Amino acid sequence: MHLINKKIPVLALALVGLLCACSGGSGVVHTVQLKNAEIVLEGPLFAGPNQGQYAFSIDLASELGDQFQEGMQINAASLKSAEVIVADSLGLNHLNSLVLSLASDNPEVSMLEVAFKNPLPKESSSVALDLAPEAELDELLRDGTVYLVLDADLAEDLLEGSRKFQVNLTFELTTK
Amino acid sequence: MIKKIALWTASALIAFSTLNFDLQEAPGDKLVGIWEPSNGRARVKIDRIGTKYYGRIVWLIEPNDPETGLPKTDKNNPDPALQKVPLKGYRMLKDFVYQADGTWSEGTIYDPLNGSTYNCVIKMKDKNTLEIRGYIGVQALGRTDVWKRLAVQPAKK
Repeated sequence: MHLINKKIPVLALALVGLLCACSGGSGVVHTVQLKNAEIVLEGPLFAGPNQGQYAFSIDLASELGDQFQEGMQINAASLKSAEVIVADSLGLNHLNSLVLSLASDNPEVSMLEVAFKNPLPKESSSVALDLAPEAELDELLRDGTVYLVLDADLAEDLLEGSRKFQVNLTFELTTK
Repeated sequence: MIKKIALWTASALIAFSTLNFDLQEAPGDKLVGIWEPSNGRARVKIDRIGTKYYGRIVWLIEPNDPETGLPKTDKNNPDPALQKVPLKGYRMLKDFVYQADGTWSEGTIYDPLNGSTYNCVIKMKDKNTLEIRGYIGVQALGRTDVWKRLAVQPAKK
């Protein structure tokens, strides 16, 4: 019913750039994108919520390159945009809602719902999700492997075939 | 006939080795399945994500809000931004870690009726029965509910 994407090294994280360098000890703000995270829900699928996941991690040293300094870590993090593209011919039809959550193996860090859309626009193949503004992601993102979990609520059974999604996320990270 | 037996034996061996591999990989996976709380008003599917276990609502006896006629949402969520998240699919069990004593702990249980989250420990009484204990602070001051595993019916031919 769901696929665990174990391609952890296949990261599509791209550092877009330094937005601003703040003085006074508040840290440096970066925008980091996770692009084209592919999540496939393998059939047979039954009406109702179906779950898929994608594992990734943010390695500050490789993302920041020359700007990385020893001991630098994520001090604050939030999600600035979340887009889901349906990569199959069915589009958003036959779906009631989409919810994105982030989770980690760290027992000290809880799963957080970070974005959702309910109801979904019909006759479209992509949707920008509504964000949970209170979700503070620094502990989740600084902790190695992060699980991006997509819950797709199917309006009807899909006994043959699969549903394919690509997820694009934009994070704002503050490092110190 | 011999061909059939050979095929059956090969299939059985593959199935056994796969099962054995899964058991070795994650002994806590015996929690995975669909479970029904004692009030029978919902069904919760428990899965593993990474090394932790999560349970989401997959069925509600009353899926629609009687006031609006629309599918229920998490309208009691303390975060107003999440009050339109559908209740069907909501993860009411989060972040459970399988322990050496055979329990799943360090997780939380969410009560959508009042929007409250409680500490929780799960004990498997037998393979089809769970004791779910929600508490605030110390376990002794909590409440236990008994959940039953929902039998998966074989497909009709």
